[in-house]
Amino acid sequence: MLFRRIYQFLIVYCLCLVGLLGIKQVLGLSDYVIPGVTLIHSTFGRVSGGYFLDVLNTLSVTIFGQIISIAMAFTVGILGRKSSWAGSFIKVMAYNIQAYPIVALAPIIFILLGDGFISRLLIASMICYFPLLLSVLGVMAVPVKDIEHFYIATGRMRWQLEVKIRAFENLSKLTTVIAGSATLAMAGTIVAEFIAANAGIGYSIRIALYQSDLAGILTALFYIGIIISVYQGMLETLGELVKTKWSAPKGGELL
Amino acid sequence: MRLECNGLKYTYPESEVAVIDNLCFSMAGPGFNAVFGPSGVGKTSLAKLLVSQKDRPDSRILAPGMETILYSYNQERLPGWSSTGSHLDRVCPAGKKKLKQDLIEIFRLAPVLEARFAQLSMGQQNRMNLIRYLLQEFDLLIMDESLANVDEALRETIILAVKAFFPGKMFLYISHNLMEVAKFCKEILVLSEPVKQKGSFMVKGRDYCQGYTLDKKSFDATMLEIMDAF
Repeated sequence: MLFRRIYQFLIVYCLCLVGLLGIKQVLGLSDYVIPGVTLIHSTFGRVSGGYFLDVLNTLSVTIFGQIISIAMAFTVGILGRKSSWAGSFIKVMAYNIQAYPIVALAPIIFILLGDGFISRLLIASMICYFPLLLSVLGVMAVPVKDIEHFYIATGRMRWQLEVKIRAFENLSKLTTVIAGSATLAMAGTIVAEFIAANAGIGYSIRIALYQSDLAGILTALFYIGIIISVYQGMLETLGELVKTKWSAPKGGELL
Repeated sequence: MRLECNGLKYTYPESEVAVIDNLCFSMAGPGFNAVFGPSGVGKTSLAKLLVSQKDRPDSRILAPGMETILYSYNQERLPGWSSTGSHLDRVCPAGKKKLKQDLIEIFRLAPVLEARFAQLSMGQQNRMNLIRYLLQEFDLLIMDESLANVDEALRETIILAVKAFFPGKMFLYISHNLMEVAKFCKEILVLSEPVKQKGSFMVKGRDYCQGYTLDKKSFDATMLEIMDAF
Protein backbone atom coordinates (compact mmCIF):
# COMPACT_ATOMS: atom_id res chain seq x y z
CA MET A 1 0.00 0.00 0.00
CA LEU A 2 2.86 2.35 0.93
CA PHE A 3 4.81 1.69 -2.26
CA ARG A 4 1.68 1.84 -4.40
CA ARG A 5 1.00 5.36 -3.09
CA ILE A 6 4.60 6.46 -3.83
CA TYR A 7 4.73 5.14 -7.39
CA GLN A 8 1.24 6.48 -8.11
CA PHE A 9 2.47 9.92 -7.03
CA LEU A 10 5.67 9.58 -9.09
CA ILE A 11 3.64 8.68 -12.21
CA VAL A 12 1.34 11.72 -11.76
CA TYR A 13 4.26 14.06 -10.99
CA CYS A 14 6.27 12.90 -14.01
CA LEU A 15 3.24 13.22 -16.31
CA CYS A 16 2.64 16.80 -15.12
CA LEU A 17 6.31 17.67 -15.52
CA VAL A 18 6.37 16.21 -19.04
CA GLY A 19 3.17 18.18 -19.79
CA LEU A 20 4.76 21.43 -18.60
CA LEU A 21 7.92 20.82 -20.63
CA GLY A 22 5.74 19.98 -23.64
CA ILE A 23 3.88 23.30 -23.32
CA LYS A 24 7.23 25.09 -23.03
CA GLN A 25 8.46 23.41 -26.23
CA VAL A 26 5.26 23.92 -28.22
CA LEU A 27 4.85 27.59 -27.25
CA GLY A 28 8.58 28.34 -27.19
CA LEU A 29 8.46 29.79 -23.67
CA SER A 30 11.55 31.10 -21.91
CA ASP A 31 13.13 29.54 -18.79
CA TYR A 32 11.70 32.46 -16.82
CA VAL A 33 8.12 31.25 -17.46
CA ILE A 34 8.71 27.48 -17.44
CA PRO A 35 12.20 26.32 -16.51
CA GLY A 36 14.00 23.77 -18.68
CA VAL A 37 15.26 20.36 -17.59
CA THR A 38 18.74 21.72 -16.80
CA LEU A 39 17.43 24.53 -14.61
CA ILE A 40 15.01 22.19 -12.81
CA HIS A 41 17.87 19.76 -12.21
CA SER A 42 20.25 22.39 -10.87
CA THR A 43 17.53 24.00 -8.67
CA PHE A 44 16.62 20.56 -7.37
CA GLY A 45 20.22 19.97 -6.33
CA ARG A 46 20.52 23.43 -4.76
CA VAL A 47 17.31 23.55 -2.67
CA SER A 48 16.60 19.87 -2.03
CA GLY A 49 18.19 19.66 1.43
CA GLY A 50 16.47 22.78 2.76
CA TYR A 51 13.09 21.95 1.23
CA PHE A 52 13.18 18.40 2.56
CA LEU A 53 13.66 19.72 6.10
CA ASP A 54 10.94 22.32 5.49
CA VAL A 55 8.48 19.57 4.44
CA LEU A 56 9.38 17.57 7.56
CA ASN A 57 8.75 20.72 9.62
CA THR A 58 5.33 21.09 7.92
CA LEU A 59 4.63 17.38 8.40
CA SER A 60 5.29 17.62 12.15
CA VAL A 61 2.68 20.40 12.43
CA THR A 62 0.35 18.36 10.19
CA ILE A 63 0.59 15.26 12.38
CA PHE A 64 0.08 17.26 15.56
CA GLY A 65 -2.86 19.12 14.02
CA GLN A 66 -4.42 15.90 12.75
CA ILE A 67 -4.15 14.26 16.17
CA ILE A 68 -5.95 17.26 17.73
CA SER A 69 -8.62 17.12 14.99
CA ILE A 70 -9.21 13.40 15.46
CA ALA A 71 -9.51 13.81 19.24
CA MET A 72 -11.90 16.75 18.84
CA ALA A 73 -13.96 15.06 16.10
CA PHE A 74 -14.42 11.91 18.18
CA THR A 75 -15.27 13.88 21.32
CA VAL A 76 -17.88 16.03 19.57
CA GLY A 77 -19.07 13.10 17.40
CA ILE A 78 -19.68 10.94 20.47
CA LEU A 79 -21.45 13.79 22.29
CA GLY A 80 -23.54 14.61 19.22
CA ARG A 81 -24.54 11.03 18.34
CA LYS A 82 -27.78 11.12 20.34
CA SER A 83 -31.04 12.27 18.82
CA SER A 84 -31.57 14.48 21.88
CA TRP A 85 -31.79 18.29 21.73
CA ALA A 86 -28.08 18.66 22.57
CA GLY A 87 -27.12 16.05 19.98
CA SER A 88 -29.17 17.72 17.26
CA PHE A 89 -27.75 21.13 18.22
CA ILE A 90 -24.17 19.87 17.93
CA LYS A 91 -24.92 18.25 14.56
CA VAL A 92 -26.59 21.35 13.10
CA MET A 93 -23.78 23.57 14.43
CA ALA A 94 -21.13 21.29 12.91
CA TYR A 95 -22.88 21.22 9.51
CA ASN A 96 -23.27 25.00 9.47
CA ILE A 97 -19.76 25.89 10.63
CA GLN A 98 -18.07 23.48 8.20
CA ALA A 99 -19.75 25.29 5.31
CA TYR A 100 -17.69 28.38 6.16
CA PRO A 101 -14.27 28.51 4.42
CA ILE A 102 -11.68 28.17 7.18
CA VAL A 103 -8.98 29.74 4.97
CA ALA A 104 -11.01 32.95 5.08
CA LEU A 105 -10.59 32.96 8.86
CA ALA A 106 -6.82 32.45 8.66
CA PRO A 107 -5.93 36.19 8.55
CA ILE A 108 -7.94 36.75 11.76
CA ILE A 109 -5.98 33.97 13.46
CA PHE A 110 -2.69 35.49 12.33
CA ILE A 111 -3.75 38.95 13.52
CA LEU A 112 -4.74 37.58 16.91
CA LEU A 113 -2.00 35.00 17.44
CA GLY A 114 0.77 36.23 15.13
CA ASP A 115 3.15 34.13 13.01
CA GLY A 116 4.37 30.84 14.35
CA PHE A 117 3.61 27.35 15.46
CA ILE A 118 0.23 27.93 17.18
CA SER A 119 -1.33 29.68 14.17
CA ARG A 120 -0.17 26.95 11.77
CA LEU A 121 -1.39 24.25 14.11
CA LEU A 122 -4.77 25.89 14.60
CA ILE A 123 -5.44 26.34 10.88
CA ALA A 124 -4.21 22.81 10.06
CA SER A 125 -6.49 21.26 12.67
CA MET A 126 -9.47 23.44 11.72
CA ILE A 127 -9.20 22.53 8.03
CA CYS A 128 -9.07 18.80 8.68
CA TYR A 129 -11.43 18.82 11.70
CA PHE A 130 -14.80 19.46 10.05
CA PRO A 131 -14.72 16.75 7.36
CA LEU A 132 -13.56 14.35 10.07
CA LEU A 133 -16.34 15.48 12.38
CA LEU A 134 -19.03 14.95 9.75
CA SER A 135 -17.80 11.41 9.12
CA VAL A 136 -17.55 10.58 12.83
CA LEU A 137 -21.01 12.04 13.46
CA GLY A 138 -22.37 10.03 10.53
CA VAL A 139 -20.90 6.84 11.98
CA MET A 140 -21.78 7.45 15.62
CA ALA A 141 -25.34 8.63 15.03
CA VAL A 142 -26.47 5.52 13.14
CA PRO A 143 -27.42 2.57 15.39
CA VAL A 144 -26.23 -0.92 14.49
CA LYS A 145 -29.61 -2.44 15.39
CA ASP A 146 -28.71 -6.09 14.76
CA ILE A 147 -26.00 -5.90 17.41
CA GLU A 148 -27.30 -3.25 19.78
CA HIS A 149 -30.78 -4.80 20.20
CA PHE A 150 -29.65 -7.45 22.69
CA TYR A 151 -27.74 -5.01 24.89
CA ILE A 152 -30.61 -2.50 24.93
CA ALA A 153 -33.24 -5.20 25.60
CA THR A 154 -31.26 -6.66 28.49
CA GLY A 155 -30.29 -3.28 29.98
CA ARG A 156 -26.58 -3.82 29.33
CA MET A 157 -26.04 -0.94 26.95
CA ARG A 158 -23.53 1.71 28.10
CA TRP A 159 -22.31 4.64 26.03
CA GLN A 160 -18.82 3.13 25.83
CA LEU A 161 -20.23 -0.12 24.41
CA GLU A 162 -22.43 1.79 21.96
CA VAL A 163 -19.42 3.77 20.68
CA LYS A 164 -17.31 0.61 20.49
CA ILE A 165 -19.95 -1.25 18.46
CA ARG A 166 -20.46 1.62 16.02
CA ALA A 167 -16.72 2.28 15.63
CA PHE A 168 -16.01 -1.43 15.08
CA GLU A 169 -18.77 -1.83 12.52
CA ASN A 170 -17.49 1.22 10.59
CA LEU A 171 -13.78 0.63 11.03
CA SER A 172 -13.02 0.70 7.30
CA LYS A 173 -14.87 3.98 6.87
CA LEU A 174 -13.13 5.57 9.86
CA THR A 175 -9.61 4.49 8.88
CA THR A 176 -10.18 5.70 5.30
CA VAL A 177 -11.42 9.07 6.54
CA ILE A 178 -8.51 9.46 8.96
CA ALA A 179 -5.97 8.57 6.25
CA GLY A 180 -7.72 10.92 3.82
CA SER A 181 -7.75 13.76 6.32
CA ALA A 182 -3.92 13.73 6.36
CA THR A 183 -4.00 15.50 2.97
CA LEU A 184 -6.37 18.10 4.36
CA ALA A 185 -4.19 18.70 7.41
CA MET A 186 -1.12 19.05 5.19
CA ALA A 187 -2.95 21.45 2.88
CA GLY A 188 -4.10 23.47 5.90
CA THR A 189 -0.58 23.73 7.28
CA ILE A 190 0.86 24.77 3.90
CA VAL A 191 -1.88 27.39 3.44
CA ALA A 192 -1.17 28.76 6.92
CA GLU A 193 2.57 28.90 6.20
CA PHE A 194 1.93 30.46 2.81
CA ILE A 195 -0.25 33.22 4.25
CA ALA A 196 1.83 34.42 7.13
CA ALA A 197 4.08 31.91 8.89
CA ASN A 198 7.85 32.10 9.12
CA ALA A 199 8.73 28.43 8.66
CA GLY A 200 7.73 25.32 6.74
CA ILE A 201 7.41 24.45 3.06
CA GLY A 202 4.51 26.87 2.57
CA TYR A 203 6.79 29.72 3.62
CA SER A 204 9.49 28.46 1.19
CA ILE A 205 6.94 28.28 -1.63
CA ARG A 206 5.93 31.88 -0.91
CA ILE A 207 9.58 33.00 -1.22
CA ALA A 208 9.99 30.98 -4.44
CA LEU A 209 6.79 32.55 -5.79
CA TYR A 210 8.03 36.10 -5.09
CA GLN A 211 11.24 35.18 -6.96
CA SER A 212 9.20 33.62 -9.81
CA ASP A 213 11.21 30.45 -9.19
CA LEU A 214 8.98 27.78 -10.76
CA ALA A 215 11.79 25.22 -10.56
CA GLY A 216 11.92 25.77 -6.79
CA ILE A 217 8.14 25.39 -6.56
CA LEU A 218 8.29 22.15 -8.59
CA THR A 219 10.96 20.84 -6.21
CA ALA A 220 8.77 21.78 -3.21
CA LEU A 221 5.78 20.03 -4.79
CA PHE A 222 7.89 16.93 -5.36
CA TYR A 223 8.87 16.70 -1.69
CA ILE A 224 5.35 17.51 -0.47
CA GLY A 225 3.95 14.75 -2.68
CA ILE A 226 6.50 12.16 -1.65
CA ILE A 227 6.22 12.90 2.07
CA ILE A 228 2.39 13.02 2.11
CA SER A 229 2.28 9.76 0.10
CA VAL A 230 4.55 8.09 2.65
CA TYR A 231 2.50 9.49 5.56
CA GLN A 232 -0.84 8.45 4.03
CA GLY A 233 0.52 5.03 3.13
CA MET A 234 1.68 4.56 6.72
CA LEU A 235 -1.72 5.60 8.05
CA GLU A 236 -3.49 3.17 5.70
CA THR A 237 -1.13 0.36 6.68
CA LEU A 238 -1.75 1.17 10.35
CA GLY A 239 -5.52 1.14 9.69
CA GLU A 240 -5.25 -2.29 8.04
CA LEU A 241 -3.24 -3.57 10.99
CA VAL A 242 -5.84 -2.30 13.46
CA LYS A 243 -8.64 -3.87 11.42
CA THR A 244 -6.84 -7.21 11.18
CA LYS A 245 -5.90 -7.26 14.87
CA TRP A 246 -9.35 -6.24 16.06
CA SER A 247 -11.62 -8.28 13.82
CA ALA A 248 -9.78 -11.47 12.92
CA PRO A 249 -9.11 -14.27 15.39
CA LYS A 250 -5.57 -15.24 16.29
CA GLY A 251 -4.01 -17.34 13.56
CA GLY A 252 -6.91 -16.91 11.16
CA GLU A 253 -8.59 -14.48 8.88
CA LEU A 254 -12.16 -13.60 8.01
CA LEU A 255 -13.62 -14.35 4.59
CA MET B 1 -48.95 -15.27 33.86
CA ARG B 2 -51.13 -14.34 30.90
CA LEU B 3 -50.74 -12.73 27.52
CA GLU B 4 -53.84 -11.16 26.08
CA CYS B 5 -54.69 -8.87 23.18
CA ASN B 6 -58.10 -7.23 22.79
CA GLY B 7 -58.85 -5.55 19.48
CA LEU B 8 -55.21 -4.81 18.70
CA LYS B 9 -54.70 -2.81 15.56
CA TYR B 10 -51.51 -1.61 13.89
CA THR B 11 -50.90 0.29 10.69
CA TYR B 12 -47.43 1.16 9.46
CA PRO B 13 -46.75 4.89 9.14
CA GLU B 14 -47.64 6.14 5.65
CA SER B 15 -49.69 3.00 4.96
CA GLU B 16 -53.46 2.86 4.73
CA VAL B 17 -53.86 -0.88 5.26
CA ALA B 18 -53.64 -2.21 8.81
CA VAL B 19 -51.15 -5.05 9.11
CA ILE B 20 -52.83 -6.14 12.35
CA ASP B 21 -56.56 -5.49 12.53
CA ASN B 22 -58.74 -6.19 15.56
CA LEU B 23 -56.55 -8.99 16.87
CA CYS B 24 -57.94 -10.80 19.92
CA PHE B 25 -56.31 -13.74 21.65
CA SER B 26 -55.31 -14.98 25.08
CA MET B 27 -52.54 -17.33 26.17
CA ALA B 28 -52.47 -18.34 29.80
CA GLY B 29 -49.73 -19.79 31.97
CA PRO B 30 -46.17 -20.74 31.09
CA GLY B 31 -45.54 -22.83 28.00
CA PHE B 32 -44.14 -23.00 24.51
CA ASN B 33 -46.64 -21.17 22.29
CA ALA B 34 -46.46 -20.10 18.69
CA VAL B 35 -47.51 -17.46 16.20
CA PHE B 36 -47.98 -19.03 12.80
CA GLY B 37 -48.95 -17.67 9.42
CA PRO B 38 -47.69 -16.73 5.97
CA SER B 39 -45.16 -13.95 5.44
CA GLY B 40 -46.44 -10.41 5.81
CA VAL B 41 -49.41 -11.09 8.07
CA GLY B 42 -47.90 -9.15 10.97
CA LYS B 43 -46.15 -11.79 13.10
CA THR B 44 -43.02 -9.67 13.65
CA SER B 45 -45.10 -6.51 14.04
CA LEU B 46 -47.12 -8.24 16.76
CA ALA B 47 -43.89 -9.32 18.50
CA LYS B 48 -42.55 -5.77 18.43
CA LEU B 49 -45.82 -4.39 19.78
CA LEU B 50 -45.73 -6.89 22.66
CA VAL B 51 -42.15 -5.91 23.53
CA SER B 52 -42.74 -2.18 23.29
CA GLN B 53 -45.82 -2.21 25.52
CA LYS B 54 -43.61 -1.88 28.64
CA ASP B 55 -42.26 1.47 27.43
CA ARG B 56 -45.42 2.56 25.59
CA PRO B 57 -48.32 0.92 27.41
CA ASP B 58 -51.20 -0.07 25.18
CA SER B 59 -54.49 -0.86 26.92
CA ARG B 60 -55.25 -3.46 24.23
CA ILE B 61 -52.27 -5.58 25.32
CA LEU B 62 -52.38 -7.20 28.75
CA ALA B 63 -49.43 -9.11 30.18
CA PRO B 64 -50.06 -9.55 33.89
CA GLY B 65 -47.28 -11.37 35.73
CA MET B 66 -44.79 -10.70 32.97
CA GLU B 67 -42.22 -8.13 33.99
CA THR B 68 -39.57 -8.89 31.41
CA ILE B 69 -40.39 -9.58 27.78
CA LEU B 70 -37.43 -10.25 25.49
CA TYR B 71 -37.50 -10.41 21.71
CA SER B 72 -34.86 -12.32 19.76
CA TYR B 73 -34.74 -12.53 15.98
CA ASN B 74 -32.70 -14.40 13.45
CA GLN B 75 -30.69 -11.56 11.97
CA GLU B 76 -29.06 -10.47 15.19
CA ARG B 77 -25.30 -10.42 15.41
CA LEU B 78 -22.73 -10.56 18.18
CA PRO B 79 -19.93 -7.98 18.09
CA GLY B 80 -16.95 -9.22 16.09
CA TRP B 81 -14.06 -8.01 18.25
CA SER B 82 -13.76 -11.14 20.35
CA SER B 83 -14.71 -14.80 20.26
CA THR B 84 -18.32 -15.91 20.65
CA GLY B 85 -17.32 -17.83 23.78
CA SER B 86 -16.02 -14.74 25.52
CA HIS B 87 -19.17 -12.81 24.52
CA LEU B 88 -21.28 -15.53 26.12
CA ASP B 89 -19.12 -15.39 29.26
CA ARG B 90 -19.61 -11.65 29.48
CA VAL B 91 -23.42 -11.76 29.24
CA CYS B 92 -23.87 -14.84 31.42
CA PRO B 93 -25.16 -13.80 34.86
CA ALA B 94 -23.43 -15.23 37.92
CA GLY B 95 -25.08 -18.47 38.93
CA LYS B 96 -25.99 -19.49 35.40
CA LYS B 97 -22.62 -20.94 34.40
CA LYS B 98 -23.94 -24.50 34.57
CA LEU B 99 -26.98 -23.60 32.45
CA LYS B 100 -24.66 -21.98 29.91
CA GLN B 101 -22.51 -25.12 29.69
CA ASP B 102 -25.58 -27.33 29.29
CA LEU B 103 -27.07 -25.13 26.59
CA ILE B 104 -23.76 -25.02 24.71
CA GLU B 105 -23.65 -28.81 24.73
CA ILE B 106 -27.28 -29.25 23.64
CA PHE B 107 -27.01 -26.53 20.98
CA ARG B 108 -23.78 -28.22 19.76
CA LEU B 109 -21.73 -25.05 19.87
CA ALA B 110 -18.73 -26.17 21.94
CA PRO B 111 -16.42 -26.54 18.90
CA VAL B 112 -17.01 -22.95 17.75
CA LEU B 113 -16.63 -21.03 21.02
CA GLU B 114 -13.18 -19.78 19.99
CA ALA B 115 -14.45 -18.52 16.63
CA ARG B 116 -15.68 -15.02 15.83
CA PHE B 117 -19.38 -14.61 15.07
CA ALA B 118 -18.75 -13.89 11.38
CA GLN B 119 -16.98 -17.24 11.04
CA LEU B 120 -20.03 -19.25 12.11
CA SER B 121 -22.61 -20.70 9.73
CA MET B 122 -26.03 -19.03 9.76
CA GLY B 123 -27.51 -21.83 11.83
CA GLN B 124 -24.69 -21.60 14.36
CA GLN B 125 -25.13 -17.83 14.52
CA ASN B 126 -28.82 -18.21 15.32
CA ARG B 127 -28.16 -20.84 17.99
CA MET B 128 -25.44 -18.69 19.57
CA ASN B 129 -27.77 -15.72 19.63
CA LEU B 130 -30.58 -17.74 21.22
CA ILE B 131 -28.32 -19.05 23.99
CA ARG B 132 -27.47 -15.57 25.22
CA TYR B 133 -31.18 -14.72 25.47
CA LEU B 134 -31.94 -17.94 27.35
CA LEU B 135 -29.28 -16.98 29.91
CA GLN B 136 -31.08 -13.73 30.78
CA GLU B 137 -33.91 -13.20 33.24
CA PHE B 138 -37.23 -13.17 31.37
CA ASP B 139 -40.88 -14.05 31.75
CA LEU B 140 -41.69 -14.14 28.05
CA LEU B 141 -39.17 -14.79 25.30
CA ILE B 142 -40.30 -14.16 21.75
CA MET B 143 -38.28 -16.26 19.32
CA ASP B 144 -38.77 -14.74 15.88
CA GLU B 145 -37.45 -17.46 13.55
CA SER B 146 -34.64 -17.88 16.06
CA LEU B 147 -33.91 -21.39 14.82
CA ALA B 148 -33.88 -20.58 11.11
CA ASN B 149 -31.14 -22.39 9.15
CA VAL B 150 -30.82 -25.04 11.86
CA ASP B 151 -31.35 -28.63 10.70
CA GLU B 152 -34.63 -30.28 11.63
CA ALA B 153 -33.26 -32.88 14.05
CA LEU B 154 -31.24 -30.35 16.03
CA ARG B 155 -34.17 -27.92 16.05
CA GLU B 156 -36.31 -30.59 17.67
CA THR B 157 -33.60 -31.32 20.26
CA ILE B 158 -33.29 -27.60 21.06
CA ILE B 159 -37.03 -26.99 21.38
CA LEU B 160 -37.48 -30.02 23.66
CA ALA B 161 -34.50 -28.90 25.78
CA VAL B 162 -35.83 -25.34 26.07
CA LYS B 163 -39.19 -26.73 27.22
CA ALA B 164 -37.47 -28.95 29.78
CA PHE B 165 -35.09 -26.28 31.10
CA PHE B 166 -37.63 -23.45 31.38
CA PRO B 167 -40.96 -24.96 32.48
CA GLY B 168 -42.00 -21.77 34.30
CA LYS B 169 -41.47 -19.37 31.37
CA MET B 170 -43.63 -18.43 28.44
CA PHE B 171 -42.25 -18.63 24.90
CA LEU B 172 -43.74 -17.24 21.74
CA TYR B 173 -42.18 -19.06 18.80
CA ILE B 174 -42.61 -17.43 15.41
CA SER B 175 -42.06 -20.02 12.72
CA HIS B 176 -43.11 -21.08 9.25
CA ASN B 177 -42.68 -24.76 10.02
CA LEU B 178 -46.17 -26.27 10.31
CA MET B 179 -45.11 -29.67 11.64
CA GLU B 180 -42.82 -28.23 14.27
CA VAL B 181 -45.43 -25.78 15.52
CA ALA B 182 -48.17 -28.44 15.60
CA LYS B 183 -45.92 -30.94 17.39
CA PHE B 184 -44.27 -28.89 20.12
CA CYS B 185 -46.41 -25.85 20.83
CA LYS B 186 -49.11 -25.59 23.47
CA GLU B 187 -51.19 -22.82 21.92
CA ILE B 188 -50.85 -21.59 18.37
CA LEU B 189 -52.07 -18.21 17.21
CA VAL B 190 -52.72 -18.59 13.49
CA LEU B 191 -52.79 -15.36 11.51
CA SER B 192 -54.22 -15.50 8.02
CA GLU B 193 -53.70 -13.23 5.07
CA PRO B 194 -55.79 -10.02 5.30
CA VAL B 195 -57.23 -10.60 1.79
CA LYS B 196 -58.86 -13.83 2.99
CA GLN B 197 -60.56 -11.89 5.80
CA LYS B 198 -60.45 -14.90 8.08
CA GLY B 199 -58.89 -13.03 10.99
CA SER B 200 -56.97 -14.97 13.63
CA PHE B 201 -57.55 -18.32 15.30
CA MET B 202 -56.22 -20.08 18.36
CA VAL B 203 -55.38 -23.73 17.82
CA LYS B 204 -54.26 -26.20 20.52
CA GLY B 205 -50.95 -27.83 19.58
CA ARG B 206 -49.79 -31.30 20.66
CA ASP B 207 -47.26 -29.77 23.14
CA TYR B 208 -44.98 -32.82 23.07
CA CYS B 209 -42.13 -32.93 25.57
CA GLN B 210 -38.93 -35.00 25.83
CA GLY B 211 -39.51 -38.75 25.36
CA TYR B 212 -42.79 -38.25 23.52
CA THR B 213 -44.56 -40.79 21.39
CA LEU B 214 -46.18 -39.36 18.32
CA ASP B 215 -49.92 -39.92 18.05
CA LYS B 216 -50.17 -39.66 14.29
CA LYS B 217 -53.95 -39.28 14.15
CA SER B 218 -54.22 -36.36 16.56
CA PHE B 219 -51.08 -34.79 15.10
CA ASP B 220 -52.58 -34.86 11.60
CA ALA B 221 -55.80 -33.40 12.98
CA THR B 222 -53.89 -30.51 14.57
CA MET B 223 -52.04 -29.81 11.35
CA LEU B 224 -55.29 -29.84 9.39
CA GLU B 225 -56.83 -27.46 11.89
CA ILE B 226 -53.93 -25.03 11.47
CA MET B 227 -54.02 -25.30 7.68
CA ASP B 228 -57.73 -24.70 7.73
CA ALA B 229 -57.27 -21.59 9.87
CA PHE B 230 -54.73 -20.00 7.52
